[in-house]
Amino acid sequence: MSSPTISIKSETGEKRALSPMQKAKRRRLIVKSVVVLAITLICAIPLWYIVINTFKTTGDMQTNQLGFPKKWTLANYKDAFENIPILRSFVNTLIVTVFGVAFQVLIGAVAAYGMILRKSVFTSAIGAILLVAFVVPGQATLIPLYQMESKAGLVNTLAGLVVMYLGGAVFCYFLIVGYMRSLPFELIEAARIDGAGPFRIFWSIVIPLIRPILTTVVVFQTMGTWNDFMTANIFISSSNLRTIVLQVYNAVGQFSTDWPSFMTITVIALLPVFIFFILCQKWIVSGLVAGSVKG
Amino acid sequence: MMTHVMSAVTRIKGRSETSDPTPGTVDEKSLYKKRKRRQGLRDDLTSFWFLLPILAVFVILFAVPLVQTLIYSFTDFNGYSMNMHYVGWVNYQKVFTDSSTLQGLIFTVIYAVLQTIFITVIAIPLAVTLNGKFFGRNFARSMFFFFSVPSMAILGLVWRYIFSPMKTGLVNSFLGLFGIDSLPWLSNSHLAQGCVIFVAVWAQIGWHATLYLAFLQSIPHDLYEQATVDGASKRQQFVHITLPQLVPGIVTSTFLLMNGGLKVYDLPFTLTKGGPGYSTYTVTQSIIQQGIGQSQYGVGSALAVLFTLATAVVVFAQMGVANSISRRFQ
Repeated sequence: MSSPTISIKSETGEKRALSPMQKAKRRRLIVKSVVVLAITLICAIPLWYIVINTFKTTGDMQTNQLGFPKKWTLANYKDAFENIPILRSFVNTLIVTVFGVAFQVLIGAVAAYGMILRKSVFTSAIGAILLVAFVVPGQATLIPLYQMESKAGLVNTLAGLVVMYLGGAVFCYFLIVGYMRSLPFELIEAARIDGAGPFRIFWSIVIPLIRPILTTVVVFQTMGTWNDFMTANIFISSSNLRTIVLQVYNAVGQFSTDWPSFMTITVIALLPVFIFFILCQKWIVSGLVAGSVKG
Repeated sequence: MMTHVMSAVTRIKGRSETSDPTPGTVDEKSLYKKRKRRQGLRDDLTSFWFLLPILAVFVILFAVPLVQTLIYSFTDFNGYSMNMHYVGWVNYQKVFTDSSTLQGLIFTVIYAVLQTIFITVIAIPLAVTLNGKFFGRNFARSMFFFFSVPSMAILGLVWRYIFSPMKTGLVNSFLGLFGIDSLPWLSNSHLAQGCVIFVAVWAQIGWHATLYLAFLQSIPHDLYEQATVDGASKRQQFVHITLPQLVPGIVTSTFLLMNGGLKVYDLPFTLTKGGPGYSTYTVTQSIIQQGIGQSQYGVGSALAVLFTLATAVVVFAQMGVANSISRRFQ
């Protein structure tokens, strides 16, 4: 990120007069940086707004919306943890996300392996069928699925939510099968000749080889499942089963006038997402690119 | 693990001459064929076991409900009485005559089209800017990208406070600084529609800019070097190199936006609840409302069927466009 002018300075070790062209170039760079950073910060105002107001009292917030608090307070955080079962919601979300994503990815990976293992009329038919499933929007099956889960007693249970998320296995399958097809098939063939069974080949050869795409898919699906609002809102009605997104949604009704309290629960809900983003940004980007290529 | 795999490779290389059986006599030939067929069947069976879970997912979560939706759409099924009657196209007629459903349909299409246009027009220059050199580049890239990571539902709720019609709402108090009266952002139909689309653009711009950035970075650098040597200006380079090279990216991005836009639910629901009136009502909200909320399975299902057809048209149109483009560019 160092500009060329700086490198000239360090090379010679002394200040050298810049040519007019270099000066103009440097000025342009500075102007561009200032403009872009200003736009970035303007776009980030909503984030600043919700974070800074969690440290204010309601009265302070009404008179001073974007500035620093007159008196910093952590009372909002204390209230939030006392009044709302936030930890419970986190645990619910964690359970749903871990099981949902694990099953999705496992089913998708196993299916992709079954697909590349053998090419026959049967597997091509399944490939075509799965393409149909890939195109069908979730809304098209929502009503019968709600009935089905209601008959099975799965509505308003975390297990029922996990079952709903299993549909994501089709997306995982498409991402993984594309990657698997690029692997040299000789590796599988060789292992088979050496006497390894299909399961053994899957665990000790295929899985290690597809680890990059698995990471991508896991990160991507984790984001989708953690953030889901529609399915959770339809299927979960008990307050002790709410996921964190639902909890924030319900907090609006609860704190209609107490804005700092709402902001506090939002910030608490976004904190894990932010940490996840910092740690996994690289894979989120690779998932975004891979997912968009698949369409 | 790698060494294990590598040794397997060398082993098959050494073996390839001997392992391929070249059957000599007729007897051996038929035996070989038989064995091969049996091996094939066994392979079919193994591959079937691996495909079984996803087949179960397909049947239970896609095929059966899809057929049920189709059947419900022609009946008066209400979920309570088990005997349903065939009613023909009545439910489909209801979809096109019910004003709330129609409004939902109209807003969904407006939303999908406008978000696609705005985001594409802003994200490309943003990506080009973020691809260039400036101070704080990584910070700017991460910041724009971060907006698209939290749940849209939560972002919708946050913006509901920002757009609050009260004087204390952030936007209104900002307008107050210039002596402008408070505006009823979310309680006026047109303003509310604008707000929903604005937040959608704000939240997704970084995502699509990142997508374009990936495509930009795959453009061969010598194209620009040659153009510079030939004396092409920055703008000419953008129009004649960057844009044509970005076409596959534009196809993917606009497709994702159209497809996602038609399915939208979270953002309008949390920001405006579909209101005021039905001005920001969406197809998905309508399906949920009628099918699950009011137990009008028939009408909800008819809407779902039409919706599936509409998204299928978009998907196939995109596939066609993508194919013709990739053929032209190869």
